[in-house]
Amino acid sequence: MFVLETKELTYTYGAGTPFEKTAVDQVSVGVEKGEFLGVIGHTGSGKSTLIQTLNGLLRPTSGTVLLNGKDIWAEPKKIRAVRFQVGMVFQYPEHQLFEETVLKDICFGPGNMGLSRPEAEARARRAAEFVGLGEELLNKSPFELSGGQKRRAAIAGVIAMDPDVLVLDEPTAGLDPRGRDTLLNQISEYRKKRGSTVVLVSHSMEDIARCADRVLVMDGGRAVMLDRTDRVFARGRELETMGLRVPQITSILLTLREKGYPVHPVLTVDQAVEELRPLLKKEGGVRHDP
Amino acid sequence: MIRDITLGQYIPGRSLIHRMDPRVKIALTFVFIVFLFIASNFEGLLMMVALMFLILFLSGVPLSQYFRSLKAILFIVLFTGVLNLFYGGGRVVWRCPFFPAMQITDGGIGNAVFISIRIVSLILFSSVLTFTTSPTELTDALERLMKPLKVFHVKVHEIAMMMTIALRFVPTLLEETDKIMSAQKARGADLESGGVMQRIRALVPILIPLFVSSFRRAYDLAMAMECRCYHGGEGRTKMKQLHMTGLDAAAVACTAVFCGAVIFCAAYFPASLR
Repeated sequence: MFVLETKELTYTYGAGTPFEKTAVDQVSVGVEKGEFLGVIGHTGSGKSTLIQTLNGLLRPTSGTVLLNGKDIWAEPKKIRAVRFQVGMVFQYPEHQLFEETVLKDICFGPGNMGLSRPEAEARARRAAEFVGLGEELLNKSPFELSGGQKRRAAIAGVIAMDPDVLVLDEPTAGLDPRGRDTLLNQISEYRKKRGSTVVLVSHSMEDIARCADRVLVMDGGRAVMLDRTDRVFARGRELETMGLRVPQITSILLTLREKGYPVHPVLTVDQAVEELRPLLKKEGGVRHDP
Repeated sequence: MIRDITLGQYIPGRSLIHRMDPRVKIALTFVFIVFLFIASNFEGLLMMVALMFLILFLSGVPLSQYFRSLKAILFIVLFTGVLNLFYGGGRVVWRCPFFPAMQITDGGIGNAVFISIRIVSLILFSSVLTFTTSPTELTDALERLMKPLKVFHVKVHEIAMMMTIALRFVPTLLEETDKIMSAQKARGADLESGGVMQRIRALVPILIPLFVSSFRRAYDLAMAMECRCYHGGEGRTKMKQLHMTGLDAAAVACTAVFCGAVIFCAAYFPASLR
């Protein structure tokens, strides 16, 4: 059973005005429990709108969002409860920090859930540990932290609510390569330990290739592909027509295959080494004509 | 949603009024307002109302827009109107049975009508200005019109620049507010329920990040301006020069005729306010 599912979900901005624009068009997608779903799409393809309907920040124009099989808008008064179960990390989440100390800021979410102070703090500390924020940072003002630390503090603020589904919109944007690696590892680690479900929106195909079990491709508000990551990226040429690309290494392998070499379009450099080694061993790499 | 709020009142168009020099428009609006108060009788006021309808017609802005701008001041008009009913001389028309001091006179009714027309015209004249002049044109014109104040060491260019920047960043900040509100709502912030104090407290998680980000933007902007050697208005030229044309001369002439008529009415007819 899907933990989170959309059924023919449509969202239209400015319905009934001259500026009407359908951002998400009849999208039906399901995320299984414990799954890591990547979402890719060109700017303006509707992916940000789609994920904002998942926790009820936007109410779909038509169609439904099902959380554990129940329509989240069945009782609009209880929509806040949905937001605790579907944690949402926005783009540049460090802009949401506001409290006097990092610890208090991470406690904001759990506090809103109605937890007692010690309980909220315990959760905050656990969340901070997950994202690798040291104990000594917790009593600092969030505005004193470095950019990467702020980002992690903000993500901890969402993780501390202990959501069943964690949705992240471009969490690695603007981070250096090491910060990006660390953050993605921490997210994977969190998912493994908690068995929670992760939805990751990213422009970085490398990130998606590394983490995602399945990939949803959005184009012009529609869900055009939803398949296992390797199968989606094997359709590299189709992705290019949508203004997307495949991971660099996959792109090289796809080109090699087009030129007649017997390789599989794998997703990571390590796998590519395994693919290419036998080729190089063959007498100086003779060309195989198709 | 917050971004649905209409910003500014400018309604783009190519009408005669739109094409006028903004400096002339500001100056003439000022003149209209002064003459609304110089007109001391219904005859003079009629001249101003006629001029107003002429301008409303020429502006090409739908009348419904003007009605909308009046809706905002409906209360003030009613309030002053009703108050004036009781403060006039002349024949008593109605006396309150409980407080004999409260009485409506025919003079009071005249005053109420007169003042109401005056306030409504005041708003409509200024609406024409804001409807037909874009915010940038307005600040440009203000900068030029305030130039003589330099004698008193008023930093005219800086003030105009501040206004331009403020206007430029209103939509940006609204978008930012929207994002921060979503982010805090996603963390369970409850903005919609509770008493007044609770709601004010609920704004803190939105206002603080908003302040922080406006300061960040201000620093970035200052840096960008400095990198391009911005050093204030000294010796600075304009990309869009303001030009006065025959159109503006015609508008001034037309205004002069009507204002002359108002002065004539004021001199030859008795004052209406009693």
